Amino acid sequence: MKKVLVADDKATGRELVRTVLEKSGHQVFEAGDGEQAVAEARRIHPDLIILDIHMPGLDGFGVIEKLRREEGFKAIPIIALTASAMMGDRERAIASGFTGYITKPIRLGALRAEVERLLA
Amino acid sequence: MLLEKRFRELLEAAPDAIMQVDADGRIILLNRVAEDMFGYSRDELLGQPVEALIPRELHARHAEHRAHYRQQPMTRTMGSGLALEAIRKDGTRFPVEISLSPSESAEGFRVTAIIRDTTERRTAEERLRKVREEYTQRLAETNAELEMTNRELERANRLKSEFLASMSHELRTPLHTIIGFSELLSEELEGPLNEKQKRFVQHIHTDSLHLLELINDVLDISKIEADRLELRPEAFDLTALVAESLASVRSLADAKSHKLETALDVPTALEADRLRIKQVLVNLLSNAIKFTPEGGRIRLEARMQKSFVVVSVTDTGVGIPPEEHESIFDKFHQVGATTKGVREGTGLGLAITKRLVEQHGGSISVQSQPQQGSTFLFTLPLGTAGRKT
Repeated sequence: MKKVLVADDKATGRELVRTVLEKSGHQVFEAGDGEQAVAEARRIHPDLIILDIHMPGLDGFGVIEKLRREEGFKAIPIIALTASAMMGDRERAIASGFTGYITKPIRLGALRAEVERLLA
Repeated sequence: MLLEKRFRELLEAAPDAIMQVDADGRIILLNRVAEDMFGYSRDELLGQPVEALIPRELHARHAEHRAHYRQQPMTRTMGSGLALEAIRKDGTRFPVEISLSPSESAEGFRVTAIIRDTTERRTAEERLRKVREEYTQRLAETNAELEMTNRELERANRLKSEFLASMSHELRTPLHTIIGFSELLSEELEGPLNEKQKRFVQHIHTDSLHLLELINDVLDISKIEADRLELRPEAFDLTALVAESLASVRSLADAKSHKLETALDVPTALEADRLRIKQVLVNLLSNAIKFTPEGGRIRLEARMQKSFVVVSVTDTGVGIPPEEHESIFDKFHQVGATTKGVREGTGLGLAITKRLVEQHGGSISVQSQPQQGSTFLFTLPLGTAGRKT
């Protein structure tokens, strides 16, 4: 069982991802904003983080910038989750240190595949 | 006497004022035009120093110039490049142009001056200068206005893009959970659904995917119309892209028992916006599937023609009446009678497809007759958007 941290400011979004990942047998932790995400990550040391880009306050880019500077988070997989469909967003996310990229609305198959690929 | 008479006639026939001045600068000869020009009678001027016709402040300098001219006499224009002024008897001033010619005779050194009143020319020049100035001024103002309009347009365009981006984001966020949870429910991992519940959940899922398609299309067409759709050309294998496109419509085709066929004869690599070309292919293929009754045949062909790749998608479907061959590429146009019984689209697909092809430097056309199927054919230039690599 792997520990996955899901950060999204929308509770329904978190519940969706939690449900899918728990069915796949993972232990899911939640964070409702960027600051919480950083604090939770430091507390639980997850195997994977799924990070909504668009959050009030500290956004996904801010979170990854903080985490990637810390020794414990240099290498763990972090997936960007975003409802923005603008071209170039994927490149920007990868350049910012994300290891995966999923757009909302998610297709469950795509989410499962990306998570398993990064946890393998 | 005859000579003198002829000389007089000549003198008076000239359109300019003519005077002769002796070595001391005294006027010894003048014509009628000179009298009229300066407002003096002949008798008033004869024997007077020529300075009488020159503004007072220039008298001293003029005397110097005369002395200098005496040293170096030659036929020339006086004060070349300067704005010369003369003064009339009534004290009014007027601009003049003067030519000087020296002559030496038994009576001594003389200077002949031909004087032209240039008031009219000056006025015309002045008017011309003013017109030019006004014109330049107006041009500058118009330019400034245009620049401002441009800046405003740019700003409006940028705001529109930002609005579209955030709108698309806001619309997709709730769709994310609608699509996700309906898919989750239909997987029945949380417990079995009865047939009706399954169907209802499937309706929610299908229609929310349709809504997503609409949002994407509206966003695309808005970007295209705001000229903000940027192509991202890359080298790719068209054959692989065709396979990928077929894969993504395969389930639609299977659901209607259509046969999918391909015939490809194209270079292995070409350069274009891969995702956008896939969008074009998927769009044409799903249209073909949609508008062909069960058990039809959809054929995708690609070949080279000169410096173009020509791609065609042919179906055995309901076809399109000739009068609609142009308007089907318009926004929100739906083929009238033929769409009966077909799942509604966005009405934007072909409009977007056409713009995408054109933005690549290609063109798209249709050949079709009602009940005899349709062929959509588009070209991609190898030269600009795509080239052999």
